[in-house]
Amino acid sequence: MAARTLFEKIWDAHLVRPETDQTPAILYVDLHLIHEVTSPQAFAMLRERGLEVRRPDKTIATVDHSVPTVPPGPDGRIPIDDPDAAAQIAMLETNCRGFGVRLYGMDSDRRGIVHVVGPELGLTQPGMTIVCGDSHTSTHGAFGALAFGIGTTEVGHVLTTQCLLQSKPKTLAIRAEGRLHKGVVAKDLILAIIAKIGVGGGTGHVVEYAGAAFRSMSMEERMTICNMSIEAGARAGMVAPDDTTAQYLAGRPYAPEGAALEKEARRWRALATDDGARFDREVTIDAAALEPMITWGTNPGMAIGVRGAIPEDGPQPTTDKALSYMGLRPGQRLLGHPINVVFIGSCTNARISDLRQAAGLMKGRKVAEGVRVMVVPGSQAVKQQAESEGLDRVFRDAGADWRQPGCSMCIAMNGDQLRPGEYGVSTSNRNFEGRQGPGGRTFLASPLTAAAAAVTGKITDVREMLR
Amino acid sequence: MRGRAHLFRQPRITTDAILPSRHAGIEGERQLAGHVMEGVDPAFAARVQKGDILVAGDEFGAGAAREQAVWALRGARVGAVIARSFGRGFYRDALNNGFLVVECAAALDRVEDGDLLEIDLREGLVKNLTKGEAFKFAPFTPFAMEILEAGGLLPYVLRQTTGASSA
Repeated sequence: MAARTLFEKIWDAHLVRPETDQTPAILYVDLHLIHEVTSPQAFAMLRERGLEVRRPDKTIATVDHSVPTVPPGPDGRIPIDDPDAAAQIAMLETNCRGFGVRLYGMDSDRRGIVHVVGPELGLTQPGMTIVCGDSHTSTHGAFGALAFGIGTTEVGHVLTTQCLLQSKPKTLAIRAEGRLHKGVVAKDLILAIIAKIGVGGGTGHVVEYAGAAFRSMSMEERMTICNMSIEAGARAGMVAPDDTTAQYLAGRPYAPEGAALEKEARRWRALATDDGARFDREVTIDAAALEPMITWGTNPGMAIGVRGAIPEDGPQPTTDKALSYMGLRPGQRLLGHPINVVFIGSCTNARISDLRQAAGLMKGRKVAEGVRVMVVPGSQAVKQQAESEGLDRVFRDAGADWRQPGCSMCIAMNGDQLRPGEYGVSTSNRNFEGRQGPGGRTFLASPLTAAAAAVTGKITDVREMLR
Repeated sequence: MRGRAHLFRQPRITTDAILPSRHAGIEGERQLAGHVMEGVDPAFAARVQKGDILVAGDEFGAGAAREQAVWALRGARVGAVIARSFGRGFYRDALNNGFLVVECAAALDRVEDGDLLEIDLREGLVKNLTKGEAFKFAPFTPFAMEILEAGGLLPYVLRQTTGASSA
């Protein structure tokens, strides 16, 4: 057989019917993740037509997008004041009960952001096809899975058929050689990649992240990278499974154990792109040349090194419009720019390693006067782990707000949001106009850079604090 | 189909702008419609008329997977969106709902607010009846056309599967 890429091996293995000139391929889905915001109408479609969930055992639900991050009340339950959020969460509970789908709900100690929970439970495994009604499903590609977001009608389609119609994407290899310097982390690398190829640079392609910089990363770092593939317009992002992948999965509730894990691990390693396999496109980036990154505009590709200046020759009218929204000007340097809010959270950067990095920097320091800092763990499990390590105390002692898990200010559905005109440094993935609250101005950055901004009250080169 | 044009010149109007996340939990298309395009023009929801056609730039509907954006437009009785290009998720969601989206590079620069437009699917033309001009649009794949004609993905699939079982 001809040499194949990681993507092609997974694609071929899941074809129920190949693509033709007239029709897209039918692809089998191994894992379908569900949350409360993009599923109610899908279940309603099934109910209207008297259809069943075809594989409830391959469908897993949790609540994340609209859940409050406030502490539980005296009854031990988190109060849900917003009637729309309460209705959606109740509807998911009803749907999961009615259709026999496992739900990690409000009272579960395993609930959390769907893209944090899947890997944490060992549900996400190499070689799988994984879909979810959320664009950041690309996160799961870190395991060498083909994972991408779908719309609500498609959620209904997968619920009923366990299949999806898809045209075959092209392949793009992004190679990063060299090691990241101290203070420069996975988030900085992916922001630099998006700045290089643009927010449409991955359109129509599945990205494989290859090279020493990705191979030396932990699974959590790889998840941060793959998470933002969609911000470059890519359909999905992937990293080849290796020993790091198998070691991460060992001991997780849904992962194979012992001899079965060893056997699976051999199969997973064989998924790696063959020598001589061709990609439709290749891009190379030098990881060792990077600085901590920060965005200055209203899409994630508008990013610069933290010591750099906003470009003076950006494409128009997009650049002017973005700068006017952000209250910034061409040529301006962001270093020292005052900020109002810091958000450490989201499916991009709310795993335990992210919180350890932020806490490491904030330990023994205080949040700058007038700055609001929210730290929102990605899941109950992350929260418990952080608390067992005393990270919650570090954040609280510094003056930050330690919250319950959820998507929170990344999507600002639950009331956690920027106020009009406020500047926020956010470890999330989108700096679109109004994304984090109407009129709110977002600087995307790493957990380290966000923590540095929290204690200085301004955009800071975190490397100066790590010396 | 015919309708009056509403121009949205800026590129990359995201689903976050078409239907901001804080409203995504609202049930019912008519209710969602009260917030349609709120992130770009908060007055639009009150102004839009049945059958109106949006004319937009590149990557309309980029960003979050949010089918509510399509439902809000349909709930507002918007007849179609013509854009230079679409975000992939939004485009799929639109077709999956049988909502007409047309990729046409020329329209944005040659249409003014309030022009009467006609979308001719058979000829593959966007006609500006006010100005007496016509522009070709990228033809639908036969598959996309079938989905549109069926009224969306689920009706299409159900038609296929019932067809298969009776064959």
